[in-house]
Amino acid sequence: MKRAEATGGRSASKLAAYGTWVVSAIVAVVFLGPLLWMVAASLREEASIFGGGWLRADGWTLENYAEAWRRAGLGRALVNSALQVLVIAGGGLMINAMAAYAFARLEFRGREAVFAGVVILIVLPVEVLAVPMFFTARDLGLTGGYGAAMAGLTVPFLAKAFNIYFLRQHFLSVPRALEEAAVIDGAGTWRLFWNVALPSMKPALATVVVLDLLAHWGDFLWPLMIATREETRTVQLSLANLFTQPPVQWGDILACAVMATLPVMLFFRWFQRYVVATDARAGIK
Amino acid sequence: MMAWERARGRSAKWFLAPALALLAVFVVWPLVRAGVWSFTNADLLSPERARGVGLDNYTGLWADGRFRRAFLNTWMFALLVVPAQTVLAFFMALWVNRPEPAWRVLRGVFFLPVVVAMPVLAVLWTLLYQPAQGGEMGPVNAALGVFGVPPQAWLRDPALALPAIAFMSVWQGVGLQMMVFLAGLQSVPKELIEAARIDGAGAWQRVWHVVVPSMRNTIIFVVTVTMILAFRIFVQPYLMTRGGPGNSTLSLIQSVYEMTFVTQDLGRACAAAMAFLVLVGGLTWAQRRWMKEERE
Repeated sequence: MKRAEATGGRSASKLAAYGTWVVSAIVAVVFLGPLLWMVAASLREEASIFGGGWLRADGWTLENYAEAWRRAGLGRALVNSALQVLVIAGGGLMINAMAAYAFARLEFRGREAVFAGVVILIVLPVEVLAVPMFFTARDLGLTGGYGAAMAGLTVPFLAKAFNIYFLRQHFLSVPRALEEAAVIDGAGTWRLFWNVALPSMKPALATVVVLDLLAHWGDFLWPLMIATREETRTVQLSLANLFTQPPVQWGDILACAVMATLPVMLFFRWFQRYVVATDARAGIK
Repeated sequence: MMAWERARGRSAKWFLAPALALLAVFVVWPLVRAGVWSFTNADLLSPERARGVGLDNYTGLWADGRFRRAFLNTWMFALLVVPAQTVLAFFMALWVNRPEPAWRVLRGVFFLPVVVAMPVLAVLWTLLYQPAQGGEMGPVNAALGVFGVPPQAWLRDPALALPAIAFMSVWQGVGLQMMVFLAGLQSVPKELIEAARIDGAGAWQRVWHVVVPSMRNTIIFVVTVTMILAFRIFVQPYLMTRGGPGNSTLSLIQSVYEMTFVTQDLGRACAAAMAFLVLVGGLTWAQRRWMKEERE
């Protein structure tokens, strides 16, 4: 609507085009600036992070990364986080897609009622459930040792009402003719699901995976309650630990923050192309 | 409904079993337990030995000064964030809604903070907001200094801490709402806008009289979702200020967390969680109602 053509005259429209660029550039700096500062400052010597002199050649270092890696146990934490999000996204995809397929394609008594029950669960925020969920996890032995804590971080989030709802919508839009052809060939229900329906909705599957990965990579409250031992810490917990435990070293903290961001950025960049324009509800975690 | 779908109905239970079992154990059962505990004096270490106390936990909530403060802070945060984020996201969507590839890049830039994990951003903004100290200051103070604004203590100033966290939260989340608006914009009939233009409506009038009314549902959706997300605030104040200075940024979730693990008053924590659920559930219900009216 604010297109340059809207204003009459060539020079005026040229001016408007420049104006558009200038405003865009200023706003882009506001959004990009903090993240660029994070990366640049993580490469500065401790004493010169808040001091000036960034334009001089000296004062740049990789030491912060080595220190952060050592002090925050980043190697272990990155593995833990990767394991956590991959199990949730991968295992969850399987479990939720199966349920979604049943709701979309298999007829059984009470289907609508059960589905309505699942849809209601979408609005429940994790934070409300965190405390009672903690007790359930504890009762089931999902706290404590390494294996138990990793299970505690993942198993409660495998089944997700929103993902079931989202995938069901996409199964409904898979052409029935595909499955009917396979039925005539004598395919069983599992083959209809696994070999026919699933492969024809890859973008929807990718969307669910991306949303899960982004959401759980940043998990904080739940790991804070479950992953209490040092060897079970996720990246976010390591960062928070570095941030609160003296001695507070800004350089180490920034290096750790960059390391906690890089994997998800790279993944997002690579995976973006597979994602459908998600429907608006995807905004709710 | 095709014959094979009916015939295959018998295998439905195997397809549903894993998901429904997990939802029952990790969502429904904890919810029921929280509901029951909220009427008892359950404590952290032995919730099984709880006695019923009626509505005491609920009435006690409001008498609890810390919870009341957290409740008001969270509302205040929502009131700061929701209008700013919605309006900003709307105009950003209009701004980047152009076909040339260069605008894709700008869209990506606006969306970037959404992709970064919240704990990372909370830590980053704590450094950005660093107060002036012996000739050194954080980048926010340095940048504002260029325009002659004197350095502020931001997160250490009880009057500025919550607005500072709200600003950072808008910066983080506005890209997501912009994307939702952008999707909504695609469904505004182009002929309508064109007709308004021919009738001599200016850019502002076209937005106000054509675009806004035809995006009513999207706007309601964005407002309610942003509000629900705002009520769920926890990570930013927990890491940036620990709820301080002077409880000025204490969030609802942090107060529930502390009731559970610090004062170990599980019954009250569950009552608080239930109250929170009613708040969020009410908002969702209101959203559904408003949006339905539009469809009829």
